Amino acid sequence: MQMTPTRRAFLSYAAAFGTAPILPAVAQKTATVTMGVITPTTGTFAYAGDLVARGAALALEMHGSNVLGTNVRLLTRDDEGKPASGVRRVQEAATSDGMRYFIGAYSSAVGLAESEVAQREKLLQFAAGGSEDFTGTRCGRYTFQWSAHPYTAIRATLEYVRKSFPQKKTIYTLTADYVFGHALLKYTRIVAAELGFELVGNDNHPFGERQYTQYLTKVVAAKPDILLLNTAGADAVTAIRQFANFGADNISLVGPWTLEVDQLAELAPEMRTGLILGQNYYPDVDTPANKEFVAAYNKKFAALPGYSSAYAYDAIRTLLLAMENANSVEVPAVIKALERMSWDGVLGRMSIDPKTHQLVRPYFVARCKPASAMRHAADFAEIVATGNAPQPSQLNECKQMPEL
Amino acid sequence: MLWLVSAQLVNGIAIGMIYALMSFGLSIIKGLLNIPNFAHGALYALGAYICYSAVSMGLPFALGLLAAFAGAALAGWALQRFAIQPASKSGYLAQLVTLFGAALVIEQMLLIGWGTIGLSYSPPPLLRGAVNLGFTVVPKYIAFASVFSALVIVSVWLLIERTKFGAYLRAGIERPDTTRALGVNVDLLLGVGMMMGAGLAGLAGGLALPLVGATSTMGGDMLGIAFVVLVIGGLGSLYGSVAAGVLVGVVQSLTAIAAPAASTAIIYAAMIGILLFRPQGLFGER
Repeated sequence: MQMTPTRRAFLSYAAAFGTAPILPAVAQKTATVTMGVITPTTGTFAYAGDLVARGAALALEMHGSNVLGTNVRLLTRDDEGKPASGVRRVQEAATSDGMRYFIGAYSSAVGLAESEVAQREKLLQFAAGGSEDFTGTRCGRYTFQWSAHPYTAIRATLEYVRKSFPQKKTIYTLTADYVFGHALLKYTRIVAAELGFELVGNDNHPFGERQYTQYLTKVVAAKPDILLLNTAGADAVTAIRQFANFGADNISLVGPWTLEVDQLAELAPEMRTGLILGQNYYPDVDTPANKEFVAAYNKKFAALPGYSSAYAYDAIRTLLLAMENANSVEVPAVIKALERMSWDGVLGRMSIDPKTHQLVRPYFVARCKPASAMRHAADFAEIVATGNAPQPSQLNECKQMPEL
Repeated sequence: MLWLVSAQLVNGIAIGMIYALMSFGLSIIKGLLNIPNFAHGALYALGAYICYSAVSMGLPFALGLLAAFAGAALAGWALQRFAIQPASKSGYLAQLVTLFGAALVIEQMLLIGWGTIGLSYSPPPLLRGAVNLGFTVVPKYIAFASVFSALVIVSVWLLIERTKFGAYLRAGIERPDTTRALGVNVDLLLGVGMMMGAGLAGLAGGLALPLVGATSTMGGDMLGIAFVVLVIGGLGSLYGSVAAGVLVGVVQSLTAIAAPAASTAIIYAAMIGILLFRPQGLFGER
């Protein structure tokens, strides 16, 4: 028997199918907290994208994907390491997917651009990156900075060098020509004066540079005691590879914010031996929360976590803690909770400076081991110093946090 | 100041020779197939990875370079035989799109085969350290790479200019129809030419391994510079690319003295200037 639909039945089906996509969306917005992981999976920082996503997913999984009886879902988007793409992804996720919280970006330039959207759309952003502008001239009530302040990073690293190598007094800097590098250079000048170093030269290199010998020729000619790399990512890896070819063993290579543990595998052991590196995170950090994190990460991914994963894990974990602390999943309440909280995080006892939204946290200095001293394939370095000097308040340019 | 200029000049010539090697292969393919080989960067990256694998297996660096040449040449032949040749029946645009696609496929294969983490290799002990010239130091490996590049370019020049095979090749480039009418298998010639150009890209990748490592995206970085060199030298000029390669290296290096941050931008500005005022390039003919 052939069924012929009546016009009324047809209209009923059409209405049902037409509204069907809307219903879950409404339900989603009321019963689910959507958190964005806006991170680069292509471009210069492509190596970090998956690692950030891993850390975020693990934090959520360990929390049961639920907070205060509300489901939490993660949304991952590729910012391509480009500010325009990052802004577009955040805007799309907020408008189409109901995202109210996000972690990102990995690059300062991208994160700062996204911060504008966060303030406008009232989204809570937990950012990472080396620019001081997050907590300085472009601070905002909706943006928090997980990574250390550049002053903290430079101070911790150069303090170690001053104590351990008192004979080394002159520094040549190689600086990435964008906000991140400029912030590091600014504080290198301040900290070098505080600690009695002499800066004998600086060269800015374009972002994404792959040819460094023209700069390194100048460095070697200037005969500094230290080459300080105010650059990061693939740029830093390439610069170190090419510097190794000069055989200038009398010049110490120091990177206050240059390579995280995730990238050390990209260098041959003889290229990284003796490198002094400032670290936002290192798997050996001796805190209960970090031990729990490292064990869970190792069990799930059969690897040790690095900065990218630790940032995402700790940021998501902190946001969930703040929601519980606020007894609410609403953004304004969570912001207020974060501003007054103090908690045991992956890096130790942590809090947020309410005047700047900078995470108050330690910074680690690691020294790379020779291949013969490595206990396993990822045992690249050991923590040799820890510093937590905050940016001097008179240097901070965050005028005032606006009302929510 | 004079010593700094001299030092940067030496560095520029050395780096320029590596650019020249890369662009020389690109120029051969451009001449033979009359299309810009957008997969040239990917073949360069392939050469770096093959060289890395060879030395990781314990082979000497020289054999690693040979493997880089052979592997990329083989890939170039396959590209010509199974992609460009069939696409040529559909026209110029189809060939361009095919080469774009081939570059993406090779890059993805590198990621699948070798992983996402970049790889590093230190030069053999004999080539580590630097030579002190009095007014500057030059890393031994960079000196080796530039001399080696020059020798390879001279060898290929001799092959093209002084052998019967070279004569066929030149005829195939300049008058393909006449050459075919004389009974020469031009398709075979194009295949061999493609192998040579691709092999040179792979060899350049192997040579660059101790300097820039091996990453799947390294081809894109180098391809940009290689095209700049090709345009400055003249799209139709095989040897213009060699002179332009050295010129680009020197300009890039000398700019680092006064305006380091502009040392890369200036070569692209130079390319735009050439396109505006001398579109045939410095050594090309209208």
